[in-house]
Amino acid sequence: MTCEELIAYLSSYIDHEMDAALVAEVQEHIAHCRNCRVVLDTTQRLIVLVHDEGQRTIPAGQRRALFERLHRAFLNRPQTWDDSNAQASEGNTV
Amino acid sequence: MNDESALIDGLRRRDPQAFATFFERYADRVYRLAYGIVGNEADAEEAVQATFISALEAIDRFEQHARLGTWLYRIAYNHALMILRRRRPEESLPDEDAALPMPSALTDWSTLPEDRLLSREAQEILRNAIAALPTTLRAAFVCRDIEGLSTTDCAQIIGISEGALKVRLHRARLALRERVSEYFGEWVASNDD
Repeated sequence: MTCEELIAYLSSYIDHEMDAALVAEVQEHIAHCRNCRVVLDTTQRLIVLVHDEGQRTIPAGQRRALFERLHRAFLNRPQTWDDSNAQASEGNTV
Repeated sequence: MNDESALIDGLRRRDPQAFATFFERYADRVYRLAYGIVGNEADAEEAVQATFISALEAIDRFEQHARLGTWLYRIAYNHALMILRRRRPEESLPDEDAALPMPSALTDWSTLPEDRLLSREAQEILRNAIAALPTTLRAAFVCRDIEGLSTTDCAQIIGISEGALKVRLHRARLALRERVSEYFGEWVASNDD
């Protein structure tokens, strides 16, 4: 396995979406290639870091206000809501 | 109320308890996805509000072969995109068929101490690096690696194939690793001095 191939397979390896033969090739490559090992280790570390950092919640004050607004809207029947909000439940992809 | 179909029935009957359960279960999740895409609290809150209004308006038409959470995330994703386009209308899409750039930042920062990597400064670096990703790559990354949803769910939410989702995720990870490694690599170098 070349470095280019390893980089192409990196996410499949991290996500355990590879067959055993390719996994063995990746492991053999990184045992001997310092640069690819660094890319693998730092990518895996990055994924853990962003997952931990990204676990935000709505700030408490805003959460309460949001709940109250939506609760009122919910009880007051949806027909009164702005029709433009319904557009987002249709297609619209990047 | 744990059962999803009971929750949906409750929302259709306008049961206030069903609304409270619905909000408690999904508001923060929707907020995280939206924040990851729009990048600030005010726009993320706007996306949450618009998402719940759209969802409650459409709940009578919700088809129960879909999962409620995935459906809601998809609405949230679309609202977040609309908000983002209002703010940054001219973003060009990256070429997903271009050759993958080989990594060039090769300092091993993965063993830096936890307190350094979890510092306010490091968090700021991560946030800025995520925000700097093209929207298409950022959405795939936020969905899979921050929100932790499956490839199948993320592909449905974004409205692309699983193959395309994997390509975007992979490009996002490599781009983000490169950007972040420039900063963290300097920290390693300064520790070695």
